[in-house]
Amino acid sequence: MTLLAQYALTGVVTGCFLILATIGFSLTRQVEGFLNIAHAEMLGVSAFITWGLNAVAGWPIVPSGIVAIVATAFIGLAIGRIVYDPIRKLGPAVVLISSVGVAYVIAGLMHAVIGTGIRTLDIPLATTYKAFGLRITNYQMIVVALAALTGVSLALFLNRTKTGLAIRAMSTNPELAASRGIDVRQTSRATWLLSSGLAGLAGVMLALIATLSTDIAFHQILQILAVAILAGLGSLYSVIVAGLIVGIAMDVSVFWIPAGYRPLIAFAVVIIALLVRPEGLSMMKRS
Amino acid sequence: MKSTVSIKGVLLKSTLLAGALAVSTASARADVTIGVLVPLTGELGEFGKIVAGAVELGVAEVNAAGGTKCGNLRTVVADTGGNPEVGIREATKMIESEGAVAVVGPTSGVMVALVDLAKRTKTVIMSPYAGTITLNELGGDYVYRTVSSDLGDGAASGLWLTDQGYKRVAFMVQNEESTISPAQVARDKLETSGIELTDYVVYNPGQPSYQAELVSVLANEPDAIYLAGGQQSGVTVIKEATAGGFEGEWLFTADLAVPEVFDAVGAQYLNGRAYVEFADADSSLPEFKAFDALYQEKTGGEPGPFAANSFDMANLIALSLESAESCTGEGINSVIRDVADGGEAVSSFAAGKEAIGAGKDINLEGASGPLAFDASGTPAGAYSIQQAKDGKWENVKFYPASAFE
Repeated sequence: MTLLAQYALTGVVTGCFLILATIGFSLTRQVEGFLNIAHAEMLGVSAFITWGLNAVAGWPIVPSGIVAIVATAFIGLAIGRIVYDPIRKLGPAVVLISSVGVAYVIAGLMHAVIGTGIRTLDIPLATTYKAFGLRITNYQMIVVALAALTGVSLALFLNRTKTGLAIRAMSTNPELAASRGIDVRQTSRATWLLSSGLAGLAGVMLALIATLSTDIAFHQILQILAVAILAGLGSLYSVIVAGLIVGIAMDVSVFWIPAGYRPLIAFAVVIIALLVRPEGLSMMKRS
Repeated sequence: MKSTVSIKGVLLKSTLLAGALAVSTASARADVTIGVLVPLTGELGEFGKIVAGAVELGVAEVNAAGGTKCGNLRTVVADTGGNPEVGIREATKMIESEGAVAVVGPTSGVMVALVDLAKRTKTVIMSPYAGTITLNELGGDYVYRTVSSDLGDGAASGLWLTDQGYKRVAFMVQNEESTISPAQVARDKLETSGIELTDYVVYNPGQPSYQAELVSVLANEPDAIYLAGGQQSGVTVIKEATAGGFEGEWLFTADLAVPEVFDAVGAQYLNGRAYVEFADADSSLPEFKAFDALYQEKTGGEPGPFAANSFDMANLIALSLESAESCTGEGINSVIRDVADGGEAVSSFAAGKEAIGAGKDINLEGASGPLAFDASGTPAGAYSIQQAKDGKWENVKFYPASAFE
């Protein structure tokens, strides 16, 4: 029983990482209207900026992470303006394929700058805490806390601020939003900054828990897609629920099924859920 | 040309006439071509250069000893860049335009791609470093290697885990054929030795964390964890298991036998309790020492990885030509197993040629170790175990090929 609870707890942490990795991706999907495959590579960009400042330049981890998040946000904004803005009128399929190209360019640049081999942050080994027979490390707790904090702050931002409300209006009906006087370009830029910044935060978490290689970030794209599809369109809260469902299902499944099938479990959950609720968890259909 | 060669071969079977004929036909001999098909560029370029250099050294030694009864050896070299398509194209050119009777030096992927061509054109192909287990299925007829299979790593790991006297061992294995196959061999060894296998976890690489995979492994508190994985996944597994309270010992596979692991994990967590297993040449053998001395004399440098295995390929082919009835790939294929096993032990072409001339069976003891081929054309290998000590890997155990008999 304790073992099963331990799997569930590990699943919560996995889910929280998936929430952080997916929430920016879903935001782009809602406001910009396409699946930004390069989102996963932005996690890598942030992770390696964190590594460069922390392990190479010798900065402490917190300022390294903050600079990485801000830098990633602006890199994302620049890519959005330079690459995606001019081709958006060609339709979501063209932008989607272009984002695959962007992912390859970012991966190639990272490979050229960083090179092969593994990289780790200059931080101590995780400390494990035990309670009720369950164990969790300090780094895992940081991932959970930041996922919760991100969920709450994003909700406040989208409900209480002018920019947040504009983003919500844009995601629901861009034409109507524009006709009601919302500055579409300004809102689009705010979205790029926000979604890339969230990728940056997930990247710092990646650097914190994982061993980095230039291809690890892109490996996360399938699970990000699984969570985003399960969440469906509409509210970002469904991303939080979807992330937890996929994370817990994958990790708890290891109790019965060999661990090699974890990715299969992620998609099995998505397929079963969509058979029952084709709109995804958010129950919202695009008008 | 082929018919005269085969008549010559038949005549040579008569041991009484052998010496006289070898002298009388010397002037009529043509050169025999061997293709050297290696990656000179790309990721494995450094290895390819070592292999080509060592084959050339072997060929020079053969020719210096008077060449084979089919003539002096001649090499044609081509670069594959490690690409199987390029490998097929260059090998075809070597066989059809240059008349190569053997093609040596391909890497794993190229070797597998060439199996069909080798059998169809009756040309021997041989690799000094292709460990892939695919060749365990495909090799054996026209397809040989002078290096052990990846499965041998599993046998060595199993032996070490047994020798260490662990009672309970957990396996963490990356989801790839090259790690699963040796792990399976190690697992079988443990099970026959009565060691309890607490967990056998096959995990996917590229994950940020392996906590879910480690839940049961850590709960069962094994004496040791056998970790067959790449550096990226391996380092995360080691760190998470250590943080999770694992206090037993480790056995890693060759990918983790690098100094970077100490920086990435922290040497204090590995020192004294982590070991690595990898294929290694038996440097204690007199054949290796002789090769080492020859290499240093001729090139002025130390022999690099697989140099001994490459030198052995040249000798194997030359001695096979010497004892075969025809100077063709078919001829080599028909006698190569006998040359490598069961007869008077010889360690150089000159000694082998003399013994064959005297009508004896020979057993070529290679610079890289015994070359006796199994059914798949693969010799048994030798393996080293190193221990983490003061942030470095240090030798603690060597398993010669004879340890697995």
